[in-house]
Amino acid sequence: MSAQPAVDPRGPRFAAIVTTVVLVVVLATGWWPLLAAQTVVFAIGAFVGLKPAPYSVLYRLLVAPRLQPTDEREDAAPLRFAQVVGFAFALVGTIGYAFGVTALGIVATALALFAAFLNAAFGFCLGCEMYLLLQRLSPRAGSAS
Amino acid sequence: MTGLIVAGVTIVAAVVVGLVVRSRNGRIRRSGGGTVAGSAPDGARPDGGSADGGALAGLPADVRDALAEEPADVTLVQLSTTFCAPCRHARALLTHIAEGADGLRHVDLDVTDKPGIARDLGVLRTPTTIAYARSGAELLRVSGVPKREELLTALEPRLAGAERPATEPPDGGRPTE
Repeated sequence: MSAQPAVDPRGPRFAAIVTTVVLVVVLATGWWPLLAAQTVVFAIGAFVGLKPAPYSVLYRLLVAPRLQPTDEREDAAPLRFAQVVGFAFALVGTIGYAFGVTALGIVATALALFAAFLNAAFGFCLGCEMYLLLQRLSPRAGSAS
Repeated sequence: MTGLIVAGVTIVAAVVVGLVVRSRNGRIRRSGGGTVAGSAPDGARPDGGSADGGALAGLPADVRDALAEEPADVTLVQLSTTFCAPCRHARALLTHIAEGADGLRHVDLDVTDKPGIARDLGVLRTPTTIAYARSGAELLRVSGVPKREELLTALEPRLAGAERPATEPPDGGRPTE
């Protein structure tokens, strides 16, 4: 996950807005195939790359042509990491809904929505800034400095 | 229906958290660590006297090394991770500030693979910037991207105060370990 091309920061912001809407719809309807689709979207952004990620493509086709070009660039690594976090929540949520554990589906989706909304509304990437905290909670955090 | 309520509650919670985080971004928190309380406005004890050696010894090794490698009146130690976009903005800003101020130095520590440092320092979020006096005493810390003017104002007494009387600690040479 190094030496990746920098990206137009408005692309991920747009993606976060779409993600927020999708997750609200999932919660409202409980229609889990949509969450499964969102999981795939996260997976592409996380494990393949930001460029082929569906919402980035959407941004480039529909939104970017209407905006002023910007010189502002953002490094891709934090954004990829955010997609990994989203993927984890969405995957758990999909499994929850699909196997009838609706409460699990709702909670996991709500957590993903929480992070996506913070990103969309405040430009705040929860997973990125809390990376240290997440790492500390994970089992291998015991390693000495 | 439950889902819709959960969605609403989640968004309200996210708004609250977002506003809190935004208001805390860049805000300076003075460190209560005994020796520097009140940030010595009179400049009487530029380096907090009492606990000189103790303050340094209590720091994680990487931070101690960073401070020792090129001692300055105030060293801004920034904790960053690879996955943190604002860390880049903070780094650019602090590098610029440090270049323009005498006695001020900036070090960016990547702690992506060193959670121990963050744990020892009680840092949960990146970027967090901690200002250390020459003695290793912690002066203040800032979460998020610091605000240039506020940070400079807060550090000014330390920079000016330490410059004036040239009270270098006698062992100010360089602790070679």
